[in-house]
Amino acid sequence: MLYDLAHCGDREDMLPPGHRVGDWIVTEPIGEGGWATVYAAHRAEGSAGPDDTVALKVLPTAGLAPRQARQVAESARREAELARTAPHPRLVRLLDTLVLAAPDHPTLDGAIVLVMERARCTLRDLLTTGVDEAQGGRIVAGICEGLAHLHRSGWVHIDLKPENVLIGQDGEVRLSDFGLAIELTGTHGHSAPLGTPDYLPPERWQEPLGEHGVRTRTTADIWALGIVIHEVFTGGLPAFPGATPTARAAAVRQYAEGRAALRLDPSVPPFWRALAADCLAPTHAARAPHTAERLLARIHGHRSGRRPRRPRPRTTLLALAALAACAAAAVTAAALWPRPGPPAPHARIRVFNAERDCQDRTDRDPQCSLGLAVDPMRPYTAGNVVPTRVWHNDTLDADCQLPTGLPVINEDDLSSTLWYRVRLPGPTTAWLPAIRTKDRPTLDRCP
Amino acid sequence: MSGIVVHLPEGNGTDAVTLRLGPGERARFGRGSVGTPVELRLGDETVSRLAGEIHATDDHWQLSNLSNTHAYLVENPEGAGEYLRVPPRRVGAPIPFEFSRVVLPSRRETPLSFQVFAPDHVYLDPHARGGSARSRTMTAYSLDETATYFLVLVALCEPWLRDRSPAAVPTTPQVVERLRGHPACSRLTARAVSSHLDYLADEKLRIDLPDDAGRADRRSGKREAVVGLALKFGIVREEHLALLPPSDPTGSGR
Repeated sequence: MLYDLAHCGDREDMLPPGHRVGDWIVTEPIGEGGWATVYAAHRAEGSAGPDDTVALKVLPTAGLAPRQARQVAESARREAELARTAPHPRLVRLLDTLVLAAPDHPTLDGAIVLVMERARCTLRDLLTTGVDEAQGGRIVAGICEGLAHLHRSGWVHIDLKPENVLIGQDGEVRLSDFGLAIELTGTHGHSAPLGTPDYLPPERWQEPLGEHGVRTRTTADIWALGIVIHEVFTGGLPAFPGATPTARAAAVRQYAEGRAALRLDPSVPPFWRALAADCLAPTHAARAPHTAERLLARIHGHRSGRRPRRPRPRTTLLALAALAACAAAAVTAAALWPRPGPPAPHARIRVFNAERDCQDRTDRDPQCSLGLAVDPMRPYTAGNVVPTRVWHNDTLDADCQLPTGLPVINEDDLSSTLWYRVRLPGPTTAWLPAIRTKDRPTLDRCP
Repeated sequence: MSGIVVHLPEGNGTDAVTLRLGPGERARFGRGSVGTPVELRLGDETVSRLAGEIHATDDHWQLSNLSNTHAYLVENPEGAGEYLRVPPRRVGAPIPFEFSRVVLPSRRETPLSFQVFAPDHVYLDPHARGGSARSRTMTAYSLDETATYFLVLVALCEPWLRDRSPAAVPTTPQVVERLRGHPACSRLTARAVSSHLDYLADEKLRIDLPDDAGRADRRSGKREAVVGLALKFGIVREEHLALLPPSDPTGSGR
């Protein structure tokens, strides 16, 4: 982690390692934002649940004027509501909300705590080491999926930036920090006059402040997406020239008024440069046709065009190398999708083969068979599969899940570290990677 | 970024002129002539035809002194005498003040001057914790809590902050009276309070007001809108009451 927290070792307003919050024990601080501090935490002994480690976002309210305390509570409420009403695999999962009882830490007593799935790192961390085009493309697609979902559900994120794009344990994108997110009424909503200067669209600098705040539309997120795309493919280079955020904001204004051209870095690959340029269209109206949904469709089109489907060895899937920048973070548990209820002892899961040519066949052609792993902690290759083969639409009996196996990536570039243990005829068991099924039963963790 | 506002009061041989410059835009000033057009015409023989140039950049502006002989002064009217001197032929001197009065030498009794406002100055949020300034989430409208306009704003919000009562927003004369005990406001006029209010509403908060209101309604509507938004978005909070002078400096009354 790249957060500079050296200066806050003995600060009174920090929770010390070992401090218990609900079912969780604080491990260490991992980040600080405008209003909150984020800690890594692990499950206290004696409590049970699916996640072993989580992130605790602590929003202190002590010492704030009543109005500000209300604002903090409001921001926490928004995050919780969004997580409740519109969960999605590309949004960070909110597990619980608590109020901190910490009489020994008066500045923290009464703080609101959001318990969230623990991510591996932020996109900002990742950008400091640089990402290649394929990985960058996957990240942008992930952000688009998240935004498309948010916009479809009637929300605007407002504060999209690499700091708020997390990379989950499975290597996939999780949008986070919905403290500013707003719900749209019709085509626009009103947001508090807050934002990060480098990611604000040009119209925002002219937009008047009305009774309910600043008029905000989904195209504000699309602008921010354009800035983020540019950063992803340039190792974090801002899309507009200038040494400071104010200088860059001035450059944005010059561009929007037609006094300067958009000059994106030539190192951004052409497809992504064109996509970023559309996101950075200078007005709301010019940006409006480029919805997250349509951008996503273009990305999918680009991918299928670039890499035509070709026969692949069915038994070997690519193991996704751990993302270099994140490698320092301990491998910890994180399930993929929101869980509907308490764990079941076992569940039927249906095999899914991403190869479309195999989905319609019922002749159990060996070319369309899939392998089950002997050991989910070893690479998923021909040497690590049981003799029993499975085909698309087969149902298997799963009895537990392992969220932290070796990552597996499928033909659609989905990747996951989640595995299900399945029972085979006889007393044997084998392992199915979760990306090989569309079902997401809630099962106990495998011992 | 909304740029800067240049205001030349009437009297210097010309009508009042107000120019708005976006980032990257320039305005020349001087006596002007057919061959040397200027955006800001100063009708005084002591001033060169092309005396200087203002260049809006980032959140501030730069002053170029194109005179070969005269230095220009840039005063901060709220800075207790704070000023800087821009020597002859200096190009692009950055001006750090939000409010500036550019003073040019003149043989008249009153010096030749015009004003420049730079409302885009950025201030960090008071309760923000850590994080680099680069990618920090912040209020898009930042106010200088040491400026006179902020005192005016706090005075306007005071009744609500003290009593939480939906009391009427103080009138301009009441604000003048309320701030009289403050060292920076002893000579504050009603007209200045109105200008500060306009500046807050038009340049800092960019408040949206319906156009159909009459002029008087508009003024009081603006006052109420400024107060409502300052309170709603926490721009003025209880702690700011400490900026105001004691509420009854004369000792009479309560």
